[in-house]
Amino acid sequence: MAIEAVFFDGEYARDRAITLDVQGNDLVFSGQDVPQTRWSISGLHPVDPPSPGQPFRITHHSKPGARLVIRDEAFVHRLVAEHKHLKGGYSWTHLKQVAVWTAGGILAIAALGYVLVSFLPQRVAFVLPETWRDRVGGQVVDGLVGKAKRCNTPAGDSAKSAMIAALAEGNTDLPPLSMEVYDMDLVNAFAAPGGKIIFTKGILAKADGPDEIAGVLAHEIGHVAHRHPETQLVRLTGIQVLISVMSGTNGGDFTSNVAALAALLRYSRDAEREADTYARQTMDKANINPMGLRTFFEKMIKDEGGAAPAAKDSSALDTLGNVFSTHPGTEDRIKQITPLPDGRTPAQVLTPEQWKSLQSICG
Amino acid sequence: MTEQTTHPAPHHAPERLTFTYVPRKGLMKLTIVNFLLSIVTFTIYRFWAKTNVRQHIWSCVHINGEPLEYTGKGSELFMGALYVFLFMVLPIVLIGALIGLVYGPESPLLFVLQMLVIIAVYVFWGFAVYKARKYQLSRTQWRGIRGTLSGSAMTYSLLYFGSLLAKSMSFGWATPVMNTVLQEQITNDMRFGDAAFKFKGRAGPLYPTYAACWFLSLVAIIVAIVAIGGSIGLEKLFGGEGSTTTPETYAVLAGFAIVGFLLLTALIVPMLWSLYIARELRTFADYTRFDGAQFNLDASAGSIIWLSVVNIFILIFTLGIGWPYINQRTVRFVIDRLSLEGLIDVDRIRQSQVPLDKRGEGLADAFDVGGL
Repeated sequence: MAIEAVFFDGEYARDRAITLDVQGNDLVFSGQDVPQTRWSISGLHPVDPPSPGQPFRITHHSKPGARLVIRDEAFVHRLVAEHKHLKGGYSWTHLKQVAVWTAGGILAIAALGYVLVSFLPQRVAFVLPETWRDRVGGQVVDGLVGKAKRCNTPAGDSAKSAMIAALAEGNTDLPPLSMEVYDMDLVNAFAAPGGKIIFTKGILAKADGPDEIAGVLAHEIGHVAHRHPETQLVRLTGIQVLISVMSGTNGGDFTSNVAALAALLRYSRDAEREADTYARQTMDKANINPMGLRTFFEKMIKDEGGAAPAAKDSSALDTLGNVFSTHPGTEDRIKQITPLPDGRTPAQVLTPEQWKSLQSICG
Repeated sequence: MTEQTTHPAPHHAPERLTFTYVPRKGLMKLTIVNFLLSIVTFTIYRFWAKTNVRQHIWSCVHINGEPLEYTGKGSELFMGALYVFLFMVLPIVLIGALIGLVYGPESPLLFVLQMLVIIAVYVFWGFAVYKARKYQLSRTQWRGIRGTLSGSAMTYSLLYFGSLLAKSMSFGWATPVMNTVLQEQITNDMRFGDAAFKFKGRAGPLYPTYAACWFLSLVAIIVAIVAIGGSIGLEKLFGGEGSTTTPETYAVLAGFAIVGFLLLTALIVPMLWSLYIARELRTFADYTRFDGAQFNLDASAGSIIWLSVVNIFILIFTLGIGWPYINQRTVRFVIDRLSLEGLIDVDRIRQSQVPLDKRGEGLADAFDVGGL
């Protein structure tokens, strides 16, 4: 049953009247100035879903620019009922395409995230120039200690040197480092980029002997040797890039934010383990009693059970978490610290006088 | 193929073109499905959402009974956005991060980079506008024939940048002239198939309305400042020593004053300016010809205010999900008021030979100037 329809050839805007009929699996049409044309129904594609009151427009893959416009609603109804692909609207190919792009997008972001947060940071940390480490380390320290005074006395300084020298005994590969004490009551120690290791007055007061502080120092040197502070800084930049990429903003200025600085030096459990291992090996080679680190560790954990030590000079260091930060696995970390093998007498880290002048370095 | 072989039959007579918006069902379903898919795909679906909404709205615009057709693809918009992201956004972000890392977050280099980015955005804004318009025109078909812009996006961009400078340096007074120049530039590049649009006219007739809007806005702002400042001042003056007004009361008053000022500037000033916008739309339509026929757009300030207010309400009360309805209303606003006076020999119009861009509106998407 042939019907009247209109044909556009995609070359001219001219509308051409045609008669159209279904013959087997084909649409066949011809008109006054349109030669007889045969379009396979399977190759037809609806321009819009059929809609009452609207002309139904279809095209064919053999001539993508051409359009057939059918206004006979009964014909359209029959055609679409027999050939579901002419219904238009959402199709599987369409949804599959979107799913593929979405999966691709998520994978790309995930890959970028992996490179920026996991793959690159430590590698970059080891190629950063010394001048950079030194300058940024200084900025990090300034940010974290705030207005607290740096403590120096001639006797205290020589005690610090003696402690570093004791750890260097038998450890020729110790990274370059500096150790400073700041006049702060809270109990903490941290390593900043450039080998800058910071102790608070509080942590010295909390310690019951030089072995404990030597243990903490060895742990911090572990962070320095593995370039953990630098790694975290590079990682933070990576996270910033990732955030700005995903949100379309500049990602916020982390590095000028003290809270971010503190978060920066909160290492992962793996990083803490690396620093522990380094500390154990260093103390072993230097013949320093590792049990100092262990006792100090246990003391800190007991304190955390109760109220945190009140910090008058509340600063970013509060949020930093302490040397033995509280993630799960702390018990394991403690258990790993074992005494020196039988028959080895630990060396004396500091003389009682040196220890006293170190503890009283802030007056 | 020669003219003779493709034109064997006699011409139809030149015809008058009429524009009608014939709504069809399915926009609600599109809106909901688009929203759900956008969530599921972390907003990546937005390119396809934009595309199928355009398809729907375009197909409701009938010219002499024959609907428009939108032939763009979601993947084209996606690739456009991806291209801009990979070759513009990502390098800038990475360079910024590198500078921050190496020279510190306070580095003046970072400031220089930001400045360069801002300048680049202003310089390329017109480029983005032009490219987006070109993409949309080249994806719009009527009777199997598509539109295009045949000129240079860079020329338009420089002109656009110049117009921004001229407008700001003249306290806005260059606006009618610059808008006319820009409209002339882009309209004269516009084609439907091989038939051209022409724009011809002076900015002069726009100036009386512009001047009225400019001075009325100034007066409105001055009146607001004086009224608000005055009421606080009077309270202070006559409240005297025995006055119960406390500093807190003043703070509340000042708060009211600021809110009132913002409301005034956000409501009254744009309302005033809709007078000018309506005037400009009408004038530009009058200046525009297609194949010898002249356009006419019957837009009034009241109708523009109504369109904008309802659109804003839709945006707010659907939390932005209802954007397809905003697009529909905007297109309908134009189509319902647009007419073309004169006869056009449609049959003679040939397909455009301007090649199609492969990617769509990436930069415009990044700058958020994509229009519909």
